[in-house]
Amino acid sequence: MVLSCKEVWRAISDYIDREVSQEIRREIEAHLAQCRHCAALVDSTRNIVILLADDRLFTVPVGFSERLRRRLAAEIGNEKT
Amino acid sequence: MPDPRSEQDLIQLVLSGRPEYFYELVQPYERRVFRAAYGLLRNEADAEDVVQEALLKALRKLSTFRGEARFSTWLLRIAVNEARMRLRARRWDYASVSIQDDEGSEYVPLLLANWREVPSVVLEQREVREQIEKALAELSAEQREILILRDVGGLNTEEAASALGISIPSVKTRLLRARLRMRDLLAPHFRSAPRWQERAGRRRRSWF
Repeated sequence: MVLSCKEVWRAISDYIDREVSQEIRREIEAHLAQCRHCAALVDSTRNIVILLADDRLFTVPVGFSERLRRRLAAEIGNEKT
Repeated sequence: MPDPRSEQDLIQLVLSGRPEYFYELVQPYERRVFRAAYGLLRNEADAEDVVQEALLKALRKLSTFRGEARFSTWLLRIAVNEARMRLRARRWDYASVSIQDDEGSEYVPLLLANWREVPSVVLEQREVREQIEKALAELSAEQREILILRDVGGLNTEEAASALGISIPSVKTRLLRARLRMRDLLAPHFRSAPRWQERAGRRRRSWF
């Protein structure tokens, strides 16, 4: 069975998450080896997933941890008194 | 990741009347919770506020944490609910709901750019972060939530389904659409920035 481009697009997310069966995985890879456009689509979508998971995206503001710690300490202090 | 035993010990300590250990318990996750809140709200002050409120709530209701979910998932759920309440107050943010999430329409990639490798150094550039924020703003609220929970918060499909109260197939469909939309929105910017590609040439690394 040969997958169409559209079938590959629908499976992209599961493929990136490794949530497809071995069989589908092999079929997708066979398609990607033949189809430059789908290969670029898969790679660029995977890049998005990688960028979103990167700790350096949306870094915490300066003093964030200290303010959080103080706020928690204040709350704990209130409860104890 | 802290080992589960010490996390469990910290939870027990807090519950047995030592709340001063709570910060130690949540500290490994504070950044991830912030990133998720920021992704939903796209405002630093609001996101920080949401993290503080969510963690105070987590402290107050720690006894309801049953250990069925991962502790980080439990914290993220509280933070997402808090962010949702904040978004409800900002009505304009829901103006775009369901415009993008047109389940009936067939996806066609906007631009099949040859964007095969992006070095991690791109994230050190402010423009890239800004483009990602802009793209997130373009998503529907539903798409944004699923993307934040799965790809920023690190929840798995089952955890995201339970956090959002939707089925696993719905999580998968929404996530697919959200990722493809982000990709369509971002790919043209990456392609039109030759200096990132030059850097990619110098510092090549494979992603997986």
